Amino acid sequence: MGEGDKLPSTGLPFEGLKVVDCSWVVVGPSVAKHLADHGATAVRLETTAPMDTLRVAMPFKDGIPGPDRAHFHGEFNTSKLGMTLDLKTPAGVKVAHRLLAWADVFIEAFTPGTVDRLGIGYEKAQSINPSIIMLSTCLMGQTGSLSSLGGFGYHAAAIAGFYEVTGWKDLPPDGPWLAYTDTIAPHFLSAAVMAALDHRRRTGQGQHIDASQLEMALHFLSPQTLDSRVNGHTVSRDGNRSPTAAPQGAYPCLGDDRWCAIAVENDAQWEGLRRALGDPAWARDERFVTTEGRLAHHDEIDRHLSAWTGGQGEREVMDLLISEGVPAGVVQRSSDLLKDPQLAHRGFFRNLEHAEMGSIPYSGPQYRIRGYESGPRFAAPKMGQHNEYVLRELLGMSDEEITDAVVGGALG
Amino acid sequence: MLSPYTVLDLTDDRGELAAMILGDLGADVIKVEPPQGSSSRHMAPFLPDGPEPERSLHYFAFNRNKRGITLDLAGEAGRRALLSLAEKADFVIESARPGEMSRLGLGFDELRQANPRIVYVAITPFGQDGPYAEFPAGDLTVAALAGPMSVQGDPGRAPIRVSVPQVWLHAGAEAAVGALTAHARMRCTGEAQFVDVSAQTVMAWTMLNGATAKAIQGFDFNRSGLYSQTRGMPLQMVYECADGYVTFMPDGRTLETLVRWCVEDGLAPESWVEDEDWMGYTLNNLHGRPVAHPLEEVMVPINRYMLTRTKNQLLDRSVRERISIAPVYTVEELTRFRQLEERGYWLTAPLPDGQDVQVAGPFAQISETPMKVRRWPPKLGEHNAEVLGEMLGYSQSEIETACGLAGNTSSGRGG
Repeated sequence: MGEGDKLPSTGLPFEGLKVVDCSWVVVGPSVAKHLADHGATAVRLETTAPMDTLRVAMPFKDGIPGPDRAHFHGEFNTSKLGMTLDLKTPAGVKVAHRLLAWADVFIEAFTPGTVDRLGIGYEKAQSINPSIIMLSTCLMGQTGSLSSLGGFGYHAAAIAGFYEVTGWKDLPPDGPWLAYTDTIAPHFLSAAVMAALDHRRRTGQGQHIDASQLEMALHFLSPQTLDSRVNGHTVSRDGNRSPTAAPQGAYPCLGDDRWCAIAVENDAQWEGLRRALGDPAWARDERFVTTEGRLAHHDEIDRHLSAWTGGQGEREVMDLLISEGVPAGVVQRSSDLLKDPQLAHRGFFRNLEHAEMGSIPYSGPQYRIRGYESGPRFAAPKMGQHNEYVLRELLGMSDEEITDAVVGGALG
Repeated sequence: MLSPYTVLDLTDDRGELAAMILGDLGADVIKVEPPQGSSSRHMAPFLPDGPEPERSLHYFAFNRNKRGITLDLAGEAGRRALLSLAEKADFVIESARPGEMSRLGLGFDELRQANPRIVYVAITPFGQDGPYAEFPAGDLTVAALAGPMSVQGDPGRAPIRVSVPQVWLHAGAEAAVGALTAHARMRCTGEAQFVDVSAQTVMAWTMLNGATAKAIQGFDFNRSGLYSQTRGMPLQMVYECADGYVTFMPDGRTLETLVRWCVEDGLAPESWVEDEDWMGYTLNNLHGRPVAHPLEEVMVPINRYMLTRTKNQLLDRSVRERISIAPVYTVEELTRFRQLEERGYWLTAPLPDGQDVQVAGPFAQISETPMKVRRWPPKLGEHNAEVLGEMLGYSQSEIETACGLAGNTSSGRGG
């Protein structure tokens, strides 16, 4: 067990940790949010040109667009202080250097090479703050001939193979929702930054973490890549079908666009499904007794199953199948999730007061730690909401220094 | 970075990535399997000669940087061995059904007695308690109940998952985050920690802006197939090209550049370059301001242009001109993607059948303490003697009893 200095007993594991979040969109902000939700003081740096894509993307409060009404930004920037900083001005870079001297963790997501040009690269950061932990995250990594490929999680998701495997066999690839690799990278990077912090606590040594969203995401297709290399088999999209389970799919239920997912993963579950259906004659067909048989006649089984589910509500279908030991789940939309009994039991959504949007729900932590009410501590900031506080209270700048920074255009 | 720490990995196929991430970051991981092997050893794909426990490529993908032992947790000797290992460990990660470890006398309460500073991580489909806790669950049904399926797929068809199972990978990776967060908390409080990972809540986050959408904007997002809906109007995102598909958003500088390419190839009249403010075109459309060429008209030559080029030609030209057109690659094409070669991403690993294969490398490049693969996935029980002998001082016969190698075992899905 690592012997270490004990932190003050506040209950918040990252109390006192200082984070400068100079990134945007989802990946970098998620890592800073993680540390901030658990007690770190995190300053989110933004500019108006360009503005964080999440501030101009849906959903907007009451459908009215506006940078301080974009909850996509809100979900990924809780518990942070908001500051505008124009890094294209010398005055802005000067403030950035003071922030780097203050920080334990520095997160950026510019196109590789940009931070060096701006004068806030790892060498500079390290010269200001020798034990700083710097995370650089981008699509392709800091090196390589395609490192300058900018873009979003949908670009990386296509390159990483996820578009190819999401959609229907007979149609072009749909791809996963929005920006799939943005949902993968934060797991790896939050872990890496916490490991780096623990290493620094024991050794005093900082780190530069060069993270390629493509390289992280490929771990989620690792068995399929091995299958391609070893067996020459290249996986492609196949709706909801599985090579090893049948029947498996989303089946239509009563109502407008209501569905229940069903996954029969073994013969015992097939027996359960037959019981749930009242053991109809069609299901007694001996071709359906084994998984191989059910895979071979999947379309035929689907026609019968859809006829059965189509006459019932999606909850009834799920409850009945679950009671017979068959994996089943309603395809839930946001409106369902917000009243889902399991998520409610875990207190997943919690309302926080936002300076412009008022009291609105935020998604909670992905895991719960017993005896610890973790999660977003306060709502995401408006653009530049904490400029004055950061300069005066966190950086200890005098009136004169603050005036110089403002006149120099530092605050964008 | 995590070299001072020991992790006991009791997960089956629903969480193995958790301990692999901690192992890649330097921790000493001991994988504890039931005598008949982890369920992941029985998961496809397999090496050519079929479904043997030492031939699963699924197992091979998620178990490096681990030593492997077997323990018969249904037997007293196996349980005692696990408690003794827990005394020396910092983390325990398991993916049994809620309550199952407690029934074996190996739940959080028993393990914290053995080690008052243990971080105990439990991965389950829906969490340890609550109305869904006992639900049988699969990759598809968790993805359904968590939300992302409702927004994936084509409007005229059923909602879809990613065709390759993803749920246990997200849950496993986030369990590594939970483990390290709880470890930091343990240092604050000095007390053992229990982390309850729900795959459903992990997957709800894969909806990104979708989970709370209804409460914010008053309506749910819907499936929109090849089109994006977040700009307030449908924008085509997937394009057929000469050898497959590419993706990009036809907006701003990308749109301006593509119009120029179409004009160059004679697919659109030269006047188009000047006809529109292409940078502001999407916004103009969105606000109903007049445009010279409606979107449907503009998309015709752009789709035709794509058909005349390969995905790599489009990627290379887009990078040169500082826009982003991403190829829709297959896993096979990725094995030849030069960016990964140039970064030295792939590592050579020895497969159990003796051949070498290239596998995914470290998930990031870390300057002072680079991640390394110190060992490849263990054979079943490969380190029984090493771990139980050296760490616990067990004799050969004690090892055989604890590991379930001595005659009849009372094996179950404990490990």
